[in-house]
Amino acid sequence: MSIRAMVASIRVGWYREFNWTNPLTGFSLRTVGPLASVIAASTVYYVGSTNNIPPSFDPSRLAFILIGAALYAHVAAYSWVPTLAIAEGKWTYVFPQVYISPHSSLPYLTGRTLASFVTSTMTVIVSLVLSFYVLSSVFHTDIPFMVNPLSVSLLFLAMLVNILAALGLGLLLSAYALFATKFEWALPTYVAGLLMVFSEALFPVSFLGPLSPIANVLPFTEFMRASRQAMIQGGTVYSYFSYLGLAALGGIIVLALGFLAFRYAENRARRLGVIDKKTA
Amino acid sequence: MKLHSNPWLRTAYARLWVRAKSIYGEPLWVAVNIGFPFFTSFSLTMVYRAYGLNSFTGFAILGGVMISFWGNVLWSMASQFNWDKQVGLFEIYITSPAPISAILVGMSLGGILGTAPSAAMVAILGWLIFHPPINAIWPAVISVFALTLASLYAMGMALSSLYLAYGREADSVNEALHEPVSLISGVYFPSTGGFSPFPLAVQAGASLIPLTLGMDALRRTLFFGQGFGELYLDLELLALAVMGVVLLFASSKALKFLENKGRRTGTIAVRQR
Repeated sequence: MSIRAMVASIRVGWYREFNWTNPLTGFSLRTVGPLASVIAASTVYYVGSTNNIPPSFDPSRLAFILIGAALYAHVAAYSWVPTLAIAEGKWTYVFPQVYISPHSSLPYLTGRTLASFVTSTMTVIVSLVLSFYVLSSVFHTDIPFMVNPLSVSLLFLAMLVNILAALGLGLLLSAYALFATKFEWALPTYVAGLLMVFSEALFPVSFLGPLSPIANVLPFTEFMRASRQAMIQGGTVYSYFSYLGLAALGGIIVLALGFLAFRYAENRARRLGVIDKKTA
Repeated sequence: MKLHSNPWLRTAYARLWVRAKSIYGEPLWVAVNIGFPFFTSFSLTMVYRAYGLNSFTGFAILGGVMISFWGNVLWSMASQFNWDKQVGLFEIYITSPAPISAILVGMSLGGILGTAPSAAMVAILGWLIFHPPINAIWPAVISVFALTLASLYAMGMALSSLYLAYGREADSVNEALHEPVSLISGVYFPSTGGFSPFPLAVQAGASLIPLTLGMDALRRTLFFGQGFGELYLDLELLALAVMGVVLLFASSKALKFLENKGRRTGTIAVRQR
């Protein structure tokens, strides 16, 4: 895969995301959504638990939800970028042009994903910090976060490892987007919704009953668990690396599947002549 | 009064028909629209349930229903004239004798009709899966629901004129508005009143949004058995009605202003992409 093409695609991704305004406005607008969703999910727990009879508020559960909601917003923000790049690219004639230049579609999609990964990492870190302070002061509680250079480094490492699974998922969805001429944005919406349920973002997956084994094998679930081990008091390095290893293994499998599916879909789409097809 | 003899009604009906047809002509739309509200609502219901808060599960399901309409107001009302302008439809609206208010009202009614199936699916699935405890006064629930939608879509009409003044910022503003308004409106939890964790100033600010009052009134009527005659509920209904009328008036004035300004400066048909 051409590194030069990928770096160029990362720049294209940033231009696409921020070039309509100044970077500060663009960044602020992109941070507001994740910040609000993190606070909303945490407030749901707070309102329910403090009004329960007897009250059952537990700061460590709040920390669990806060981390999960923030990282879910992070994954949801960038894993569907390849699909968007294809769907939007078909309408603007960008994707057919990318496709006909030699060996460019995969570096292009990877670059767009990485650009969005960097952006969403920044917005999610800002929203995590802001929501921590807002919720601590509004709820008058100490959220048991563990913030030191090691824990933050481990969180970043987990986020980096999760790129494998997110890119794999993005390529799987892209394989579909090559053929879709309508509602191509709908499948990523469903997948993002399923991830909210199955990735242990907001509640332990054991509550899913017979469906919990599905959640337990997802690399996104292991990523969430590793991140919580890194950031919430009581986490251990052994558990962190166990979950991270599982996240990496699952990520490699999803990436390989995504790569194979995309290559197959690309060849088939070319034979069928749908690479630049815009209407059903 | 016959429909065909009144241009305002004919225009509203025509716009309603186009919007309703675009949804019901493609049944996949219902399946497509249900994804985001259902899974969000499911996850937050699980948060209530996983931590032993079964009595609140209905809040999250109701939130899933109402978020469908809020999404429709943002993406299919507020942004619509801006998109119409990009494809050249808006100048046809302006140059035709069709009253712009009728187009907006038709668009709203069509939007409500089009969103209703997916909102109903969220409610049915939520009820079947979680069996939330309900203590409803149905005539009050129906009245509150109707008034909430009326004022919410009136807000969409007012926003549509605001968005018309902007170009591609509209999409980004929409994305930025969706979650914060859901948060302070208390779509999934009470953001005003005794249950709210927010400071009084935030609650007061949130009460200026029709969705906040509507959600609170819906929770009162659907889960707490409150009906007409309860002082706070009556005040919320009155406020919703006033908001609806004011926003409708404001949207009409704002559109007229932008239309006149666009004619003077020659920018009414300028596409901003």
